[in-house]
Amino acid sequence: MSIVKSLPAQFAELAPYAPIWALATETERNIQRHTVGMDAIYEYSKAILPRVDEVVTFLNAIPLSDLDSKPEAMTLMQMLLSLAEIAPAVEFYKQPAVIDGYDSRRFVADETFVMSPHP
Amino acid sequence: MQENTNNIPAPEGSVTAKYPELGSGLIPVEPYISPEYFEREKKHIFKKTWLHVGRADQIPKAGDYFVADLEVCDTQIIVVRNRQGEIRAMHNVCSHRLNEIVYDKRGNTRKLFCKFHGWAYDLDGNLTGVPEENSFFNLDKSKFGLTRVACEVWQGFIFVNMEPNPAQSLEEFMKPVYGSIEGYPWDKLKEGFRWTSVVNCNWKLALDAFQEAYHVAYVHGNSIADAIDRSTSVEGMPPLDVICGDVHRRLSLAGNQKSVYGNPKAVTEGGAAAQQALSDAANARPIAAAALRAGVGSAKEQFPLDALPEGVNWTKSPNWLFDMNVIFPDFYVSLRPNYFQAYTFRPVSHDKTMVDARVFYAEMTTAGGRFFLEYMKVALRDVLLEDFSTLERTQRAAQTGVKKHMIVQDRELMVRHAYHAVERMLARGEAQEAASNQ
Repeated sequence: MSIVKSLPAQFAELAPYAPIWALATETERNIQRHTVGMDAIYEYSKAILPRVDEVVTFLNAIPLSDLDSKPEAMTLMQMLLSLAEIAPAVEFYKQPAVIDGYDSRRFVADETFVMSPHP
Repeated sequence: MQENTNNIPAPEGSVTAKYPELGSGLIPVEPYISPEYFEREKKHIFKKTWLHVGRADQIPKAGDYFVADLEVCDTQIIVVRNRQGEIRAMHNVCSHRLNEIVYDKRGNTRKLFCKFHGWAYDLDGNLTGVPEENSFFNLDKSKFGLTRVACEVWQGFIFVNMEPNPAQSLEEFMKPVYGSIEGYPWDKLKEGFRWTSVVNCNWKLALDAFQEAYHVAYVHGNSIADAIDRSTSVEGMPPLDVICGDVHRRLSLAGNQKSVYGNPKAVTEGGAAAQQALSDAANARPIAAAALRAGVGSAKEQFPLDALPEGVNWTKSPNWLFDMNVIFPDFYVSLRPNYFQAYTFRPVSHDKTMVDARVFYAEMTTAGGRFFLEYMKVALRDVLLEDFSTLERTQRAAQTGVKKHMIVQDRELMVRHAYHAVERMLARGEAQEAASNQ
């Protein structure tokens, strides 16, 4: 099954990563981090880091509340949130899971917490 | 051997020596593994003490409610905002034939309807509607409302108390130790994230893991141990100070400012603070550095350090990291310059704890700011997974019975105080009970 998620034209080179990393919730992003393996995590990190300031500049021009009506920008936003999700794997642990950590599936994110921001 | 260790007094200049009534001896393991001890805690502490159940911001509108599971008090509590904007709490038990009224854990409702026979209650718990009312025998509805529970709010934190007439108001309970932190910018910190987990350990063992910084160099050796200031010859993270009240306790910490996670004020101050935080991160942690660059300038509000109430960073350290605050019995609040964490370690049984962990950040106005929050939140969550890694292992080790005592050092004073606070409240409760039985 392939999910087609397009990106704004200037970020087309990141499009291959969208089906993997454009995910709506912390839980989905965390499961993906634990699913794809460290090589895929490094590959994505290397691909997006040189462009990350441009991605932020592009997205900063769009009010957060408008992202729902701009699917390409939302896809890019979710990919940025996935970069945050894999940051500890890359910069703390050098492996997907927290070293010796408590099972992240037992530490359940409340995705409907009323005070959580959207996206 | 153990008796001798018990008798060595804490030296002058240690934080432990400030509280000679706590002694300097070993801490017994029994309270962490004994079902009987837990029954005493339920009866004399949890059923008589103010217990935190949520933030008022979680139920902003009339009719908003959530359900607090309080196994430790053998009940479930509905917490609801009424039409007047006041927060009410009541047991989730219908007056008719006792069904639970609310099934969902949260929601918004005009009235509370029982799904069994349709009895209806208003948001203050008054019984207002009974189907087939005439078939009852002169039912006086005013006598059969939901059973209310004492409920008060301090600085936006909702507390309930199972005592029909609590011995202390919430304000009297909080003031002695926490009066000086009133006015912390809670209202500017409304972007919250929450996780829950049922952990197979005693509630005190879970809380203890959070009320000292001795563990940082080891448990967090792969992640945030760079918050330890290595620029001096002092080993580890000594507390700036510790305050032990009758039952509450506080500890203030300083640390290395050259890290993104360890210097959160960088994002709201920008300028020199951001440069300092980025100085080490830019090369070693490029994602952290990118997140901070993205976040600077995005916060909707300002967080000037000199506007914090005097009880926050009370030693006025220039390298302040955060204050730990333990609100007796089971509520932990960590205060930082521009965010705070709120964790409850609520017992389910002697060897099971329901952890409810929340973090609240400043509202961000841009996507870049949202990226920064996600970085901080994910790092915090993974740091919590490190903290939690020891809990079930320690519980199993405690339950072997091999060790009867734990050894506690000066910087673990809050662990020592926690033991004494529980013992103190059990002794008081049991003395009162004995007196009233005479």
